[in-house]
Amino acid sequence: MAVSDLLRPLLLLAALSLLALLASVSLGSADLSLGQTLQVLVGGGSDLDRTLILDLRLPRSLSAFATGGLLAVAGALMQVLLRNPLADPYVLGLSGGAAVGALLAMLAGAAGVLVSGSAFAGALLSTFLVFGLARATGAWTPARLLLTGVVIAAGWGAVMTLILATAPGRRLPGMLYWLMGDLSQSGRPWPALSVLVVACALLLPLGRTLNVLARGTAQAAVLGVAVRPLEWLVYLTASALTAVAVTTAGTVGFVGLIVPHMLRLALGSDQRLILPACALAGGTLLVVADMLARTVVAPEQLPVGVITALIGVPAFLFLLARSR
Amino acid sequence: MSRAVVWLRPVFAAIAIALSGAMPAVAADRCATDALDRNVCLPAPARRVVSLSPGATELLYSAGAGDAVVAASAWSDYPPPARDLPRVGDANRLDLEAIVAARPDLIVAWTDGNSRSQLERLSDLGLTVFWLTPRTFDDIARAVVDLGQLTGHDALARDRANRFLAGLAALRDRYRNARPVRVFYQIWDEPLMTVNRDELISKSLALCGAVNVFADADRLVPRVSRESVLLARPEAILTAAPETDAERALAAWRAFPDLPAVAHDNLLVLPPDRLQRPTLRMLDGARDLCLRLEAARGRL
Repeated sequence: MAVSDLLRPLLLLAALSLLALLASVSLGSADLSLGQTLQVLVGGGSDLDRTLILDLRLPRSLSAFATGGLLAVAGALMQVLLRNPLADPYVLGLSGGAAVGALLAMLAGAAGVLVSGSAFAGALLSTFLVFGLARATGAWTPARLLLTGVVIAAGWGAVMTLILATAPGRRLPGMLYWLMGDLSQSGRPWPALSVLVVACALLLPLGRTLNVLARGTAQAAVLGVAVRPLEWLVYLTASALTAVAVTTAGTVGFVGLIVPHMLRLALGSDQRLILPACALAGGTLLVVADMLARTVVAPEQLPVGVITALIGVPAFLFLLARSR
Repeated sequence: MSRAVVWLRPVFAAIAIALSGAMPAVAADRCATDALDRNVCLPAPARRVVSLSPGATELLYSAGAGDAVVAASAWSDYPPPARDLPRVGDANRLDLEAIVAARPDLIVAWTDGNSRSQLERLSDLGLTVFWLTPRTFDDIARAVVDLGQLTGHDALARDRANRFLAGLAALRDRYRNARPVRVFYQIWDEPLMTVNRDELISKSLALCGAVNVFADADRLVPRVSRESVLLARPEAILTAAPETDAERALAAWRAFPDLPAVAHDNLLVLPPDRLQRPTLRMLDGARDLCLRLEAARGRL
């Protein structure tokens, strides 16, 4: 595939992302015109407008973009690794570990950094638990990794239900909103954004190797790929990306499953194209979804996961029907 | 510095304290300690207040600050003027942008509903947040006094808070020696939930000379089994429900005619809100509760 063939869809997606970000910072429950928004973005505007756009909307929109991008890239990696179309960033129990961490922190009355820190710790714990258990069993295959992960996820699910069932009533709403995905407290988008950029830069040179891996381990081995280390690298990278995403916004569902599939249906399955495209399209989807979640019934706020599914399901079914 | 002056220093200090006491207007800062134990100070009485829960809205109006409330969270329905306030989202899920756009000089938050992380974002933007957690009658009175202090209605708020406490004290005296009635208070039917002694409803029951059969439960709002309620043999079963739901709310208990509460026809449905929201209306709710319990006592 020529370089220009790779670049054209990416440029289109990048333009879409910028458009979505611009729409997201100009729309909100406070009525600001596009002119006022642009004025603030070039350094002018009233103090109130500046606070609304630069301190509330922009960090939130960038967090949404980073979270969506991270989840979509992680989902694409998991689908290559497990060679299973149902794989998503959460399939191996990582979200469960993060959720248990976050819920325990909330149960203890913590908020903010403590909750996200605890979620991150839970995600890492789950990753290494699955890694250790799947490796300890010797004969390692993606199927075994998948089974280990799914069972661990079920275990986390039970712990989550237990915490929710015994938590005092006044802590429940916060917990449920975290589980549905919540961008309202994302004040610092830079860590997640930089992880996304670094991950894309690191994964791009691996694209060709991943293309080979996606065809099966035997073929990859024949073609000289060090399969086992590559698989672990993919697993750990996907887990790290997901952990950062979950730490930023809770467990936002659906983006990591649907975006890679949509892009494969539309663009083919060249990982050199799919991975950066996932970062852009996943980010755009979540920015748009979060914008709708904030505004459709404002000042009431909807959980962003509902919107990602409401947009994603029909769009995905349409692509699926068209592609046969 | 000469010896005499050093020796006189405490005298100067005493004079300074006496003067500042005599001229409260000089001390411009209005301060109060909130539920997170933070000392919240305002340079002048708050003129634009955003309330983040129905209870906080009601307490602000009680403190005489109704005119200063510029926006409130959903379900702020009492007193009636509060229904027309601009909304800033649901208490559990706030619209930060709408709050900032209201340009508040004071935000009143509720620890049992509002997200601590969301409110931290507002604090980071330089907005003043005052947290409330009324868990006792004294806390309610205290909240009204504090809000009055922060909004410049000190005397009115203090007066209303004192009347509230005096009304409760009168109830306590009146039913001190009444025959105890064993009560099961049903918060919810599916799953069956009640309250322990720390919940305000249970404290209201105690005022009226009733005994909450689950007072000693570990959790504030325990889930209990139907069986354990039957074993506790309550002499009255209470719940709060809107009139339209009153018939249905406790109907399930009629399946147990031997239960003292059923045998003595003591299944009581109270109007909602007045006992469940920790505000000054709890006094009315408690008075009503005591009358209903007094009638139930008569049927035993």
